[in-house]
Amino acid sequence: MDSRKTVRMAISDKMYYVLRIAVLVLALFLFFPGLNPAKVSGIINRNLSLFTTGISYGDLANGFGRAIGRGWITEGSLRLLQISSVIVCLGIAACVAGACMSLGNIRMKKAGNLALTAGNLVGFLGLGGIYLAYQKMLQSSNPDRIQPIFPNGFWVVCGLFVCILAVTVVQAALLKGQAAEKKFEIASKYRLFLMFLPFIVLIALFAYLPLWGWRYAFFNYEVGDTLTMDSFVGLKWFQELVRNPATVRDILRVLRNTLAMSGIGLATSWLPMLFAIFLNEVKNLRFRRVVQTFTTIPNFISWVLVYGVAFSVFSTEGFVSSMLVNMGIWEQGQNLLMSGEYTWLKMWAWGTWKGIGWSAIIYIAGISGIDAQLYDAAMVDGAGRFQRMWHITLPGLLPTFCVLLLMSVGNILSNGMDQYLVFENATNTDAITVLDLYVYKLGIGGGRIPLTTVVSMLKSIVGVALLLVTNNVAKLTRDGESIV
Amino acid sequence: MAKKTTGRKFRLKTGDIIFNVLNYLVFGIFTLACIFPFYYLFINTISDNEMVARGVISVIPRGIHFDNYLAMFKVGDLIRAFGVTVGRTVLGTMLMVGASGFVGYLVTKQEMWARKFWYRFMVVTMYFNAGLIPWFLNMQMLGLTNTFWAYIIPGIVAPYNIVLVKTYIESIPRELEESAQMDGASHLTVFWRIIWPLSKPILATVAIFGAVGHWNSFTDSLILMQSASNLYTLQHRLYMYLNQSTNLEAVMKSGGQMGEAAMAAVLSGKVIKYTVSMVTVIPILIVYPFMQRYFEEGIMLGAVKG
Repeated sequence: MDSRKTVRMAISDKMYYVLRIAVLVLALFLFFPGLNPAKVSGIINRNLSLFTTGISYGDLANGFGRAIGRGWITEGSLRLLQISSVIVCLGIAACVAGACMSLGNIRMKKAGNLALTAGNLVGFLGLGGIYLAYQKMLQSSNPDRIQPIFPNGFWVVCGLFVCILAVTVVQAALLKGQAAEKKFEIASKYRLFLMFLPFIVLIALFAYLPLWGWRYAFFNYEVGDTLTMDSFVGLKWFQELVRNPATVRDILRVLRNTLAMSGIGLATSWLPMLFAIFLNEVKNLRFRRVVQTFTTIPNFISWVLVYGVAFSVFSTEGFVSSMLVNMGIWEQGQNLLMSGEYTWLKMWAWGTWKGIGWSAIIYIAGISGIDAQLYDAAMVDGAGRFQRMWHITLPGLLPTFCVLLLMSVGNILSNGMDQYLVFENATNTDAITVLDLYVYKLGIGGGRIPLTTVVSMLKSIVGVALLLVTNNVAKLTRDGESIV
Repeated sequence: MAKKTTGRKFRLKTGDIIFNVLNYLVFGIFTLACIFPFYYLFINTISDNEMVARGVISVIPRGIHFDNYLAMFKVGDLIRAFGVTVGRTVLGTMLMVGASGFVGYLVTKQEMWARKFWYRFMVVTMYFNAGLIPWFLNMQMLGLTNTFWAYIIPGIVAPYNIVLVKTYIESIPRELEESAQMDGASHLTVFWRIIWPLSKPILATVAIFGAVGHWNSFTDSLILMQSASNLYTLQHRLYMYLNQSTNLEAVMKSGGQMGEAAMAAVLSGKVIKYTVSMVTVIPILIVYPFMQRYFEEGIMLGAVKG
């Protein structure tokens, strides 16, 4: 008898895997617009997922204004569709809860089966509602404009529900003879995991799901199109990147700007260290404190505000122009921000103005960690101020410097777009457009989604490769310690 | 701080004096360069507007008044942008800090099912992202574009902050937690009663950085709110105001004709721009001196991890 029970439990455990996977897939249906089982009309935005259909009537009805106005379809049908979607969502939620409960003890599992059954029934109810709404679409007085579609997702969801229901019934049978505990319980390891699960979902949605967008790199796609296999073009956009002369020219120019500005940044990355070393020579503590406080503030204002500051100082009516005009040196004010000369250096200067005080903090802390006896010993030996800086302070800070340098090498292609976007104007656009800005302007502004997806994709891959390389270099030079 | 008191015994040599003078001078000038623009902006927003237009206010404010700030209250777009920014800063920071504390605690629990895998699953996202366009398409697919939640939900889980909190929690003596568990406290009780209060210093640091990030955010408003101008953030509005005049000036530069009304718009535009800049920067300037300690702790913690 006992052995039969254990066998039954073993079967039950295995079957729960099937159930959990089915529920996971079902949960994904909530968020994938392509699989939306409620997309029963061509007018419904193809970017709507089941979840959005349920929670936002506005998004659903968007585009139906004319149809409702002309009486092709009643508002009630749309409401029905929305409410049915909510019901399906609730059913799926109950299934998810049931699947989570299946990780617990027998008592918990039994309750979980109830939740799953209830979720199924609710789900079927909602699907019925959607089917009804579809029928209403079919009966519309103007089916050509309403374009009723029977969504593929509908059958898949149906199938999943049936599958889950079947497994649940079998589970109920398997668990029937098992003695249930007095308390609901889930083993500690699973309980911790379940508490983590909502956050895992968020990570998956916002950090991993965007990878699904990489598929746009292989399709012909204009904003507003539907992605179908007809528009699959393979590596066309990758080839465009190296074959189309105009694109090649743009990319080369943008890469030159990106690498130049990153390069200037790298070449001067020792400046914060110098800042810290010389600040350390300031013996008046109050003065030092003031310097530190005020030079770190620019780090905490946005690039837009930096531009606001730049505007107040260097524009036609700004500080510099007003001063020079009032002193009679200039005839009239000039807008120094509009000039296209030395763009790279200017951008570097703004970056330094914003960041140097902040970057220096880490070195200032590093200096305070250097053994004071070293300095005393050096002074006894007659070392001067600069000798002490060179032979004691600098070597003490070099390890930190190297790590930071390696990390910035890994980020050489990502210099962000905020700074360049705000400072960009007609005269400096050739020199200021970096990779990130180029992607933004061409993709979001110009709607050239596939090409910019290719660029995004390549940039991500190169970024990871660089990171791995620098990390390995760091490991070699720092006795196996990595930087990430 | 490594103090070298022995140096005081010797008489200062001429070289030292020159060095000190130069050193103080350079730092003095740079500090001034960091703070003067804010001062300049400020005095130009509170001085007599006519004088500001003539460009004679450069160091000392004259004809002090606060009409410009009062006028800002009448600009509906600006008030709304201010509300949106305050809303996202408060709500977004609260959720992010709560999540960072809780997840930071969870990932220290060795017994969690597949802990290593899920921890890596999270940490990897710090070093890798799909790129701007796929990110945008994803937000669109999830139906978050043109909604306030696009500001909040993606920022709840901040892996970098979670790692900071986790490192901090690991330094809390295990015995505290174990004795509580001995008394039958659940994970949630342990977290709420012991871990959360004890990790307040690091949570404060994380909160400060989160809040500054939200306050300064600009690109998400620019990219995700294309057809919801009522959800623009303050920084986005400021960007628009600043940009508007650039266009006007471009017209002037190219020698195009401009009516007097347009000219007046440029002039008062300058004051508007200055005032909006001030409104945007004042919260940071006020908060910063009090929170400096937390800011500096933040960068040090990051360094220890790195």
